Amino acid sequence: MQECTVNFVGFLSLLWNSAPDLLRLALIAMVPITLTSVGEVFSEKSGIVNIGLEGILLISAFTSLWAAEVTSSPWIGLLAGLGTGALIGWIHGLIAIPLKGDQVISGIGINLFALGFVAFGIMAVWKSAGYHQAPPAARVPALQTPLGDLSPLIPATILIAILTWFLLNKTVLGLRVKAVGENPEATDVAGISVERTRFFAVIYGASLAGLGGAYLSIDWLSTITKELSAGRGFIALANVVFSGLNPLLALLGGFLFGVFDTLALWIDTVSELKPCLPFAFHNFVKMLPYIATLAVVAVAIGHARFPKQSGQPYRRE
Amino acid sequence: MSESLAIQMLSIQKIYPDGTVALKGVNFDLRRGEIHGLLGENGAGKSTLTKILSGLLRPTEGKIFIRGKLKNFRNPSDALRSGIGMVHQHFALVPTFSALENILLGQEGSSNLSRLQMSKARARVEEMMRAGGFSVPLDARTESLAVGVQQRVEIIKMLYRSVDVLILDEPTAVLTPVEVHDFFKTLRTLRDAGKSIILITHKLKEILDVTDRVTVLRQGQNAGQIATPEATPEILARMMIGHDVLPSIEKKPTQIGSAIMQVSHLRVKDNLGLHSIEDLSFAVHAGEILGIAGVEGNGQTELVEAITGLRPVEHGEISINEKNIAGQNPRQLYQQGLAHVPEDRRRLGMILEFSLSENSILGVHREKRFHGWLGKILWGKVGSHTWDLIKKFSIVASDVKAPAKSLSGGNQQKLVCAREFDKQPSLVVAAQPTRGLDISATQYIRDQLVHLRDEGKAVLLVSADLEEIFQLSDRIAVMYEGKFMGVAKPEELDRERIGLMMGGVSALAAPVGEAAR
Ligand SMILES: Nc1ncnc2c1ncn2[C@@H]1O[C@H](COP(=O)(O)OP(=O)(O)O)[C@@H](O)[C@H]1O
Ligand SMILES: [Mg+2]
Repeated sequence: MQECTVNFVGFLSLLWNSAPDLLRLALIAMVPITLTSVGEVFSEKSGIVNIGLEGILLISAFTSLWAAEVTSSPWIGLLAGLGTGALIGWIHGLIAIPLKGDQVISGIGINLFALGFVAFGIMAVWKSAGYHQAPPAARVPALQTPLGDLSPLIPATILIAILTWFLLNKTVLGLRVKAVGENPEATDVAGISVERTRFFAVIYGASLAGLGGAYLSIDWLSTITKELSAGRGFIALANVVFSGLNPLLALLGGFLFGVFDTLALWIDTVSELKPCLPFAFHNFVKMLPYIATLAVVAVAIGHARFPKQSGQPYRRE
Repeated sequence: MSESLAIQMLSIQKIYPDGTVALKGVNFDLRRGEIHGLLGENGAGKSTLTKILSGLLRPTEGKIFIRGKLKNFRNPSDALRSGIGMVHQHFALVPTFSALENILLGQEGSSNLSRLQMSKARARVEEMMRAGGFSVPLDARTESLAVGVQQRVEIIKMLYRSVDVLILDEPTAVLTPVEVHDFFKTLRTLRDAGKSIILITHKLKEILDVTDRVTVLRQGQNAGQIATPEATPEILARMMIGHDVLPSIEKKPTQIGSAIMQVSHLRVKDNLGLHSIEDLSFAVHAGEILGIAGVEGNGQTELVEAITGLRPVEHGEISINEKNIAGQNPRQLYQQGLAHVPEDRRRLGMILEFSLSENSILGVHREKRFHGWLGKILWGKVGSHTWDLIKKFSIVASDVKAPAKSLSGGNQQKLVCAREFDKQPSLVVAAQPTRGLDISATQYIRDQLVHLRDEGKAVLLVSADLEEIFQLSDRIAVMYEGKFMGVAKPEELDRERIGLMMGGVSALAAPVGEAAR
């Protein structure tokens, strides 16, 4: 057994020395949470709440790995993830919009379905119980950067967040999306289709979650397990609250959650720290993202202003 | 089909999904360049008819011709494309948007992905406002604007869409008399610029003031059409109501007794946390009906809620029979002799899914006479009690076990009144007791209120219906922004004075009349 030689100051200097490393890890961990939350912000602006994000992450992680492996193309894998998200978003939209069903129940349904579907899917496709490694040909190639190898999806995520902000605040589409969330009747009377606008928003949002799922399995973690999403869909929901439905704040929040998500990984990489941390503390660090989630929701939810018709189906008569 | 008509609607029938037959084959036509009044009581079907015309609802049956062409609108944009725009009773504005964004919504540009071009739109809207002689602040959040201003935003919104038929659903309900005057000027300007306008109202005076022709609806059917110059208030009232005038109610002179309820220095907040009632004091005496008139939203609802224990009292006292009741809950209030006929009867007056029996004992269900051993409710006894009420109040109902929602609106309200008046109250608070009811139920409930007063009870009547206020009240108070503009006997008032007071102008010689006490 080694002696612990790191005091608090030493810990801080370790932290400082590994800042570039931490930054890299946080950027990596940011992607799925940010993509998912930015998409959900867009969807929620239109009044459609989708708590099935966790399920979408998981199912898309599975379908994208499958597609990437079959075609040996990670790009097709990413498209498959997007498409899977879009399809699930369309189903959620179908339940929520024309059928006027309960959005919470539909979302829970997606999450429950994902658990069974992915566990079964891994078994059926790869004949292995709950685990499959992505072959190299299915993995998204990395970009060389000063920070080290990084996924192209990291800049893409930042661009998508900015693009979504632009869409919401500077375009005709954004005005309409916000209007159907606040007062669908007014939008209807103004001659804009509430159904089409909401469908677009929910599919847009779910597609981004689908892309996030693909990133998990064919990029960052290069594997599929039946717990791969590890609550990131729910953390994204918390991040949506944190952002107050602003895509740029969702990007910032995604990065912060990425930092927490990454701390546990980082602690493992620092050998000096090993003897200093009791096992329980290690587990505590693993809990950080979830604790941060709770704290953020507890503090931010009182201030967040959601659209007036959030979660409400629109009826004319 | 004649092409000189802007619009022709033939045998329009509308059955709502819940089975309500709102229109039973209505015909309607609109000429180009006219202001056409659509007159009818609450529930006559005016909103339904125009919502169909503007594409928001689809008719169950019937045909619509626009400039002679058969049209079948699937949604409001179809109607807008045909040049028909409607300003709804409840505004269709996005509260968090600026006025300009609201005006622009749906007309922003060619494609969804194009950038918002606010400055171009602003120039056009400003030009339109100059031409029309009215203006609104374009950058303020819409929810911060006064209702009268929001309404102008709505009208500009429609004009921005270059409609040539403008439908206005009860536009004056939210306006003060002065605003109405300006509003009518705007309408005439628009008509002279070639627009056709449908003006919905149930106010005779407005019809006579501003329209060129009138169509009258009564209970989902055509009740007549007339050119306005040939119309008189009596003719219109006859069409609208079916009688010449309302049969006046026999009112004995009563001996006004001691004060049953005394309100002093009352202060109450509204839902937004603003003071909606500020330092209000008045009394209601045994044997009198005190009628509170006023444009809705001037604190009447909050006053009733404070008195009936549904809203906290910030400051001041409310006493019934000299006991301060501020802060008591509705059950305690009932024991102090309060009966309440609430404004929103379907929400506060009854539980629609419950049976007539259950509804007939809501709130009095703790009384011993309905209970057996261990507090078991004796439904047999309750049932016969319900039948008693049904007979006494001539409620049309076949079965006490039927859900309350199976009754018509009038009979639902009669059931609420029956239950409340049966409490042997000393004070009855009735808020909008006949709103939306048919003539016979209205008449019946008004008779009952007078009857209670004749028995020496104190009655506080809150009503937006001036007819009702004048017909029933022994004293009339006009409420404006949480205060009484004045209290007077009906003989001391006329409609014009009341109208002025409702608009915030004091119109009594002495600000508080001799009747105020
Ligand atoms: N959405 C609805 N569902 C069921 N019944 C309705 C609905 N809207 C209106 N009604 C009923 O249709 C009738 C006509 O209503 P409406 O057109 O609003 O009358 P008006 O505008 O003349 O007061 C009333 O009996 C009303 O209760
Ligand atoms: Mg109406």
